Amino acid sequence: MRQQGGERKEHEEPEEAGKSPGARAAHGGWAWAVVLHFFLVNVLVMGMLKTFGIFFVAFREEVGGSSEQVSWIGSIMSSLRFLGAPLVSIVCRGLGERPTSLLGAGLVAGGCLVSTQATSVPFLCISMGLLLGLGFSCLYQAAAVMTAKRCRARLGFSNALARSGMGLTFLMAPFTQLLLDFYGWQGTLLIFGGIMLNLVPSSLLLRPISTRHSSAKTQGCESPMAQKDPETPDGGLDGTTDRELHPHKAQELPTTERLLMSHGKDVSDPTNPSALGKLEKPTPGRSSPETATGAKRSNKPLSATKKETSQPLLDLSPLKDPVFFIFTWSFLFSHLAYFVPFFHLVARARTLGMSSMDGSYLISVAALCGRSRQVKLGRATRKKRKNYPNEAFSEALVAPVPSGITEMLSQLLSGWVADQNWTKKYHFHVTYLVLSGLTNLLGPLATTFPLLLAYTVAFSVSCGGFMALVLPVLVDLVGVEKLHSYLGFAAFFAGIAAIGGPPLAGWLYDYTQTYACSFLLAGACALLSPLSFCLEPWAQRWKLKRARLSPDPRAG
Amino acid sequence: ERNISLANATTVELSCKLDPNFHLRNPQVTWKRGNETISHTTKAENSWSIKLVIVDSSKMGSYSCIVKGDEEIRATFYLHVPKIEAREKPIITYEKDTAVMVCKSDSTPMTWTWYMMRGNNPVIINESLWTDKYLISRLSANVTRLRILKLTKEDAGVYWCEAVFQLGESERKMELKVLSIMAPLKPFIAIVAEVIILVTTIILYEVYSKRKGK
Repeated sequence: MRQQGGERKEHEEPEEAGKSPGARAAHGGWAWAVVLHFFLVNVLVMGMLKTFGIFFVAFREEVGGSSEQVSWIGSIMSSLRFLGAPLVSIVCRGLGERPTSLLGAGLVAGGCLVSTQATSVPFLCISMGLLLGLGFSCLYQAAAVMTAKRCRARLGFSNALARSGMGLTFLMAPFTQLLLDFYGWQGTLLIFGGIMLNLVPSSLLLRPISTRHSSAKTQGCESPMAQKDPETPDGGLDGTTDRELHPHKAQELPTTERLLMSHGKDVSDPTNPSALGKLEKPTPGRSSPETATGAKRSNKPLSATKKETSQPLLDLSPLKDPVFFIFTWSFLFSHLAYFVPFFHLVARARTLGMSSMDGSYLISVAALCGRSRQVKLGRATRKKRKNYPNEAFSEALVAPVPSGITEMLSQLLSGWVADQNWTKKYHFHVTYLVLSGLTNLLGPLATTFPLLLAYTVAFSVSCGGFMALVLPVLVDLVGVEKLHSYLGFAAFFAGIAAIGGPPLAGWLYDYTQTYACSFLLAGACALLSPLSFCLEPWAQRWKLKRARLSPDPRAG
Repeated sequence: ERNISLANATTVELSCKLDPNFHLRNPQVTWKRGNETISHTTKAENSWSIKLVIVDSSKMGSYSCIVKGDEEIRATFYLHVPKIEAREKPIITYEKDTAVMVCKSDSTPMTWTWYMMRGNNPVIINESLWTDKYLISRLSANVTRLRILKLTKEDAGVYWCEAVFQLGESERKMELKVLSIMAPLKPFIAIVAEVIILVTTIILYEVYSKRKGK
């Protein structure tokens, strides 16, 4: 095995040296193409979710149905985006990212087009809620994992760059309103379907990564991924990322694997056992779930193309992994902490006696890059429904670009800082979470407009910081091979939080009659979420022990 | 300023109360409607009231109480028939589709009537004359709905619903716009064309680089 690995490696070195700088640049370029696609996905998906509030009014008036029923559409749409993730991760691993993304784009565009023929709310629930929700989750999952796979050294920055697409969604609101005024909701949905079709060519940019090369020089978004062989775009090559093998960029590797390699590895040929070890990792994962992340070496002979088809499609191993729980706990609470304040910021401004315009100004300050849950707003604050188009409009009109840029900048900065590898990424994540928790706890003290504005800016900065790091932290913890299943299940739990959050916040308001409690709740959630990261070293040690206990035939 | 909407004949009592914190020595309070003064029927410690019996639309309008102290303070009550709620923005529909217009009021009117503008003349929409074109239904006591089937371009224009109350009439205008299906289809086709061009470019590039790699 080792011999073969060695031969393979030697064989590939000259091949790689033969590749010109032009090819290297092209390879790096594809990574940026993936970032572009992810950016577009963010813009369109988030834009659609946000502008649903505008459609809400149109649907209620024209298609009929009560507010409650119509808001179900938006709820299904946005929650399915998360809840569909495990299913989508199965599809992704079976088909590969590019086909899944194409499927997602097709679902979204098709859903929009079918919705133009809608005559009743249940129809819309299925056509718009279900189809769009599933399409969004397909798109999102494929794009996120592809970004993680392609951009290794600069995952933080690229992720932040792609997420900044959410900041541009404030442009969608006036645009949608314009379309609605011109063409009515059916015409608008038709045109939206067309716009979503644009995701098809951008999905084509997600070129599959070929498995044949175990290169020594694969670094990140800017350096070449030498394995990118356009001649063998195998579908479904997600389990085969063997680029990150060599120990130069130790930080890229998931922490457990790194520890294992340094502990249990033979010294003679450092890269090769790890190369094959990585290659073989998914296969043992199939037969014995507990070795999913543990035993990296096995005796099974592998061929590169066969490997990924032998992975189980439904991989439940994340549910047995303590690291997964750590991450999901944090993800869940940080999500809760994220949108509850947005949700109540305007209402709180109103209770403090500020005009509705000021309140919208605050929301636009904060929610430009955030996900404004206008739909959920509809379910819990029934009285304020009439304000939808006005608020969305004032959100767009008053949109203070500086503040939107603040959150964008904070995301980019935090991504860049994380990429510098000064310390483990999750330390940054924890810091931002704690900051946001403190900001939220101090939030009830903000009683005048300037103070609320300061709170909003501080909150956006810390939110931008931690949101940008979610994906890099997950990649850090579990590595790219298993990213699909982990991301799928984590998103599922986050979706549960997303569904439960706003009604919980609304109930809390009804119970305590003041919005201060929502901020305290958000602050508490934000402070709870980093707690699980304290357990991370223990979890890693536990996994190591388990891996060592399992038989390791290649130890010799 | 207060708005009071009245549908049926009733008796209304309007009263002006002075805030006890305002110590005016000799407050002079007069009730006026327009320019004519009405004598107040009851006077209490710091409040002056008038009672009005309203049976028809002639008694509707604005009534104000004026307090003369150091400054003149005025409070106005507007008595009017209930306002009708309907879509404010133009209703956009497509040819061969159905248009739905709904009017809602707070109180129950005696009758609802729908009008449309033909040329410069308002025309009552008589359901029985065009049964397959217009459908008027009373969804509830306070809500009426007009449905126009098989829309054509000529149906575009101004429509209004009128509610007749005991104390007067109230109406609300709505605008209907009828677009042809081609209207949104043109941008859509343009976008689809752009998408096809992009897709073709990318596929061609991939095929080309595959060949080059070989």
